Amino acid sequence: MAGYHQNLDQQQAPAFFARGPSPLARLAFFSALSLALMATDSRLQYLGSVREQLMVVLQPLQLIANAPSMLYDSTSEYFSTHHRLLNENQFLRKQALIQAISLQKMNALALENTNLRELLAANQSLEEFSQLGEILHVGRDPFTKKIIVNRGSNQQVVDGAAVVDAKGVIGQVTRTYPASSEVTLITDKSLTIPIQIERNGLRAIAFGHGRDNTLDLPFLPANVDIKRGDQLITSGIDGVYPKGLAVATVTDIQISADSPFARIVCIPTGGIENHKQVLIVSISQPDSPANSGAATHPTGNANTAAKAATTTKPDATQTAASKVPANTTLVVAPVPAAADINQNKKPANPTPAVATEPSTANKPHAQD
Amino acid sequence: MHKTKLQTIYFSLLVAFICVLLPWSGTALNLRPDFVLLVIIFWILRAPNKCNIGTAWFIGLWVDLATGGVFGQYALAYTVTTFVAVVYQRRLVLFSNTQQLVYVLLLLIISQLTLLTVKIFSGNDVLGWSYFLPSITGVILWQAAVALGLNTSRPSRSK
Repeated sequence: MAGYHQNLDQQQAPAFFARGPSPLARLAFFSALSLALMATDSRLQYLGSVREQLMVVLQPLQLIANAPSMLYDSTSEYFSTHHRLLNENQFLRKQALIQAISLQKMNALALENTNLRELLAANQSLEEFSQLGEILHVGRDPFTKKIIVNRGSNQQVVDGAAVVDAKGVIGQVTRTYPASSEVTLITDKSLTIPIQIERNGLRAIAFGHGRDNTLDLPFLPANVDIKRGDQLITSGIDGVYPKGLAVATVTDIQISADSPFARIVCIPTGGIENHKQVLIVSISQPDSPANSGAATHPTGNANTAAKAATTTKPDATQTAASKVPANTTLVVAPVPAAADINQNKKPANPTPAVATEPSTANKPHAQD
Repeated sequence: MHKTKLQTIYFSLLVAFICVLLPWSGTALNLRPDFVLLVIIFWILRAPNKCNIGTAWFIGLWVDLATGGVFGQYALAYTVTTFVAVVYQRRLVLFSNTQQLVYVLLLLIISQLTLLTVKIFSGNDVLGWSYFLPSITGVILWQAAVALGLNTSRPSRSK
């Protein structure tokens, strides 16, 4: 074997160590190592910090890789036409005006809401602070639906934070690195999101479908009161997503005789795959010291200070939202579910006549 | 006698890795060939004493890190693939270009199958046939590289 080997091998290599250990030995060794790593990484939590450290090493490479597209973006922006800019400017002005009006109403409503809540000794609704992030790239694993955002633990983004854009929820932060974080989209198979039908207040849990960009509402009976075109909004009982954000629209309901459950397909409202900028919003956690992360953040400070006078709070998030064009995303930090659960105890109401408006829906409950 | 510098190997691997890091999205992501594996196969065929299963395993770990999946998936896939490549290395370099192309396709598919197996065991869905498209684009890329003058057989011309 050795002689045969040397006849054919024309490699310039030291005679000793021509090939080292046999391929089979190497295969066994490295496969075992890989399997051990996989087991450690998926079952035990040891490798989280290792991953974070290595991501720091990866950061410069990532910058190099992103440079061409960044350069392209900036140059095309530079050469964008006068006409287009004017149009966009006009559109943004109009939008700002509309939002300014609704903001005024919002302030009044928020003040009224706070007063009413105080009168009824109800829980204060939760506050959120937001920061703008940008999508670095789409997740590289074809099996999962993920995006990587350029805000990380250095910017007080926390694991489990929810990601929302101007149109609706798009996902949740599942892993944070120092300068970036990984967001799992709601269409990912492993992500579930508690929702409520806007029309009748029916609560359910939406599961990502995984393969195409849709959500499923499984385990709902065939006679459930859901119609095509129904809007799904976050129910807020999970303590992760703020209440009342648009999630998806029901597009298809299939009822088959052989299944007690309806198959309900929904399409996400938020721009799951076509946005570049993201807005990161965290709900401050009223009674937990873990919230200090949010409080130390510049914008978080402004917001927690505003906690005393809650009226200024929607202001902060709203202005942040109106500053950026329509394609933005919010990331919202998790909150203890307990605060909101009481307000949502109401059983799902199947009568379509009741239009549950998020802010008014809580009032009757606080009394009982 | 031809001699491949270790730096060349590592530099080409780095370039391939940066190609993986490029912000791919949409259809391009589904078509993206496995640059790193192609470069590894190339060096294994050309300089098996410099680039071997260990190298493949190590760079596989970095690809794992970049994809954000569980550590060790790509490492395992690359290990298995390079094992097959190493075992048949001496035959492979004697193959004609077309034969080699088929072999590279097989190697790429082996890598994807290993990955698929691991993914399915960890509870992922089967993605359908489009999952294997990167193997096809990979072979096309390989052919393009060969057409541009890259050669796996030990060159008689001195470099």
